[in-house]
Amino acid sequence: MIEKGKISAMQMALMMYPAIIATAILLVPAITAHHAGQDMWLSPIWASFSGFLAVYITLRLHHYYPQKTAIEYSEQIAGKFFGKIIGFVFLFFYLHADGIVVREYGEFIVGNFLMRTPPIFVMGTMVFICALAVRGGVEVIGRLAEMIVPVVTLVILIFVILLIPDMDATNMLPIMEKGIIPSIKGAVTPQSWFSEFFLMAFFLPYLANGENGKKWGIISVLAVFLTLFIINITVLFVLGGITANFVYPVMSAVRYISIADFLEHLEAFVMAVWVGGTFLKITVFYYVVALGTAQWLNLPDYRMLVFPLGFLLLVFSEWIAPSLMELSHLLATTVPFYLSSIQIVLPLILLLIAKFRNRNRMKDGQK
Amino acid sequence: MSGLTKFKKMIICFLICSNCLLLSGCWDRVELNDLALVTGLGIDKKGKNTMLTVQLVVPKQLGGGMAMGGSNTKGGGATIIRTGTGAVMADAIRDLQEKIPRRLFWGHVKAVVFSEKVAKEGIRPYIDFLSRNPQMRLRSNMFICKGSAKNVLELSPPIEQSSAEVMRELSELQFLFRVTVKDALQMLAGSTQTAAIPLVQILPAQKGMSDLQTIAFIQRTAIFKKDRMIGSVNDKMSRGLLWIRNEVEQANITVSLKGAKGTITAAIIKMHTKLIPEYKNGKWKMIVKITSEDDVISNATNLSLYNKKHIHLAQKALADETANRIYAALHKVQKMKADVVGFGEAFHRKYPRQWNQVKDRWEDIFPNVEVTIKAKVNFRRPGMNTIPQGIPPEEVKK
Amino acid sequence: MTKLNVILGIIVLLTLIVLFERPQWKRAQKKEKAAFVILLGMGTALAILLLYKPDLPGPTQMVDYIYRPLGRLLEE
Repeated sequence: MIEKGKISAMQMALMMYPAIIATAILLVPAITAHHAGQDMWLSPIWASFSGFLAVYITLRLHHYYPQKTAIEYSEQIAGKFFGKIIGFVFLFFYLHADGIVVREYGEFIVGNFLMRTPPIFVMGTMVFICALAVRGGVEVIGRLAEMIVPVVTLVILIFVILLIPDMDATNMLPIMEKGIIPSIKGAVTPQSWFSEFFLMAFFLPYLANGENGKKWGIISVLAVFLTLFIINITVLFVLGGITANFVYPVMSAVRYISIADFLEHLEAFVMAVWVGGTFLKITVFYYVVALGTAQWLNLPDYRMLVFPLGFLLLVFSEWIAPSLMELSHLLATTVPFYLSSIQIVLPLILLLIAKFRNRNRMKDGQK
Repeated sequence: MSGLTKFKKMIICFLICSNCLLLSGCWDRVELNDLALVTGLGIDKKGKNTMLTVQLVVPKQLGGGMAMGGSNTKGGGATIIRTGTGAVMADAIRDLQEKIPRRLFWGHVKAVVFSEKVAKEGIRPYIDFLSRNPQMRLRSNMFICKGSAKNVLELSPPIEQSSAEVMRELSELQFLFRVTVKDALQMLAGSTQTAAIPLVQILPAQKGMSDLQTIAFIQRTAIFKKDRMIGSVNDKMSRGLLWIRNEVEQANITVSLKGAKGTITAAIIKMHTKLIPEYKNGKWKMIVKITSEDDVISNATNLSLYNKKHIHLAQKALADETANRIYAALHKVQKMKADVVGFGEAFHRKYPRQWNQVKDRWEDIFPNVEVTIKAKVNFRRPGMNTIPQGIPPEEVKK
Repeated sequence: MTKLNVILGIIVLLTLIVLFERPQWKRAQKKEKAAFVILLGMGTALAILLLYKPDLPGPTQMVDYIYRPLGRLLEE
């Protein structure tokens, strides 16, 4: 095994949480609001089904191949040749997806705070820090998550509380004006974020207490669901019908906070929280790519690959889209299907084949 | 970790601490003394061009000014103003920046003032610019002013530091409308596309003071349809509108009672308005249900308010007076065909299907909506007096 | 940023990465070294290619092309 570290199931859950949330509260609420309007608070409910499905598939696959990550068992399931292809698809996908995340992070920081700084430096420094964390191994990432996630959650909660005076619950009426369809359409993008729970497939083998993996996986999905639900409802109550008109609705809402004329200008905290959360998200994806590549090439260690991959990641992030408008449009249209087909449909196919094979093997065993 | 020598640990500590030096960023490093903090923004029209007036904080006079004590008789605010002109807002800002040695910083804009002329031509291009700029805050208060916005920002108020601050404080009191940029955006994008924004006017200066030593105060409310101002209503009517919008924070109502000389004034402690829309046989009806809790603040009649009968009488009179004020305000906006009271939203919420059929013609339906106001007033406390003071006890009707 | 500056930046970055990995270089297996060099080479080639052709259709365009029919469901 390449990775010798062990993490607890709780640490895994804490790693998954920012891996979904960090960017799901940037551009996604606007996309959801665009489709669902005042029903945007319903969308996370539908979207979370995707999360449960992803966790279920991942756990079943893990059950068949307890010591292996997705890259390793896809070779066993689909055969050497097709397995390598599937592995490559996963690796390319996660590299690409991580590129998108890095880009989103860069766009957010440059668009809101460091307007004159070239994005490549903002993204470059982030990738560098993430590279160091990835080199540290899964234990380091787990401990970082333990440190950062409680702070992130607390700050999000504080924002919600501070926004209560500016909330107007009537913004959510009329409920389901045009039926259930708009809220489901609004759920398409967030559900693809939920599908990222398939990332667990790369961490389950390294759990010290594997029997708790299921429990914590579900807790993590619930936590993500709850956070998205609360965030969406907060944004809707504060901004109402104009939510979709903002690129970063959560940011706009937080900037609106003003308590007693002095508790204002809290955007620096938003930035701190998001930098922390996105750092974990990029790191988790990055780690998966580095570890997976090493497993794919049957290398004894992945550490050597971290920096070259980081460089590639940086180039990818530049390559993703020419502008934020285009990026946002892609995230709202084709990318969700891309995310869920690689992280839900493909694993589902793998699971079905695995089931079939295992049944055969059992029959063979009985003979 | 034990392998590290003390020296190495010190080096690591030093490196970690030195990181702080980089926190300010490289390209976006800004020193406070390179910034010109904008507190107020005025938008005027000059011929075909846009004229932008900014009110800047003069750093020297803020805060430190107190040390000079009484010698600072000249007064004068801690702010200066500069103007710039250009074909569009961005041009005007560029023009403005040429005249200011520091970089303009928009994060502290407290008040955005549009001149009436700009308001009548449409404010959309400006509010898009305001909400698009990442420095600008959606929290800034919005105002329309009679005459030029420049004149409003020029004032150096005797009490507060800047006229922008004065306007913001005044609107925070919520005697009249309080509208932030976010509220304006919401109203204009809402189902009825109308907005109400406070209208400010310059208070004539006190005798013996210079013309600039005064303030601008909120007096009327500008009514917008789409993004254009179509008229305004006075303070009394504005309060009537606030009643329907459930936004009254403070209000006094004075009534005279039948069969008694003098008046009773009550102050509102708490109020709640509920809009109950009804749609029957193609007719749109609205019931406005208002309940308020009042304290008596003045009783110039000879009726003791410790008598249940008198209380009822006074409560009834107050409720009627409230309703009358609201009717008056409502008639005015119905005549303007501008639904700034949120009837459209209320119908939209209760009758989404019927609403969608008429939403394009709402302008024409709104004036014909039948409105019934049901006001209810409850007294809570009599103030400090039990019976009316200043008259002999035997004249008080118990 | 002129193109030359970017190329210089890339070279500096590559040097730093190589220097950083030097201590492990001797211990590493041949396969690891090969992967390291190939990945780094890919990144560099792509970076330089993008420098001269910034509009080069990338993976995102491929994704967009494949999923277009589904994406259209969400377009309004």
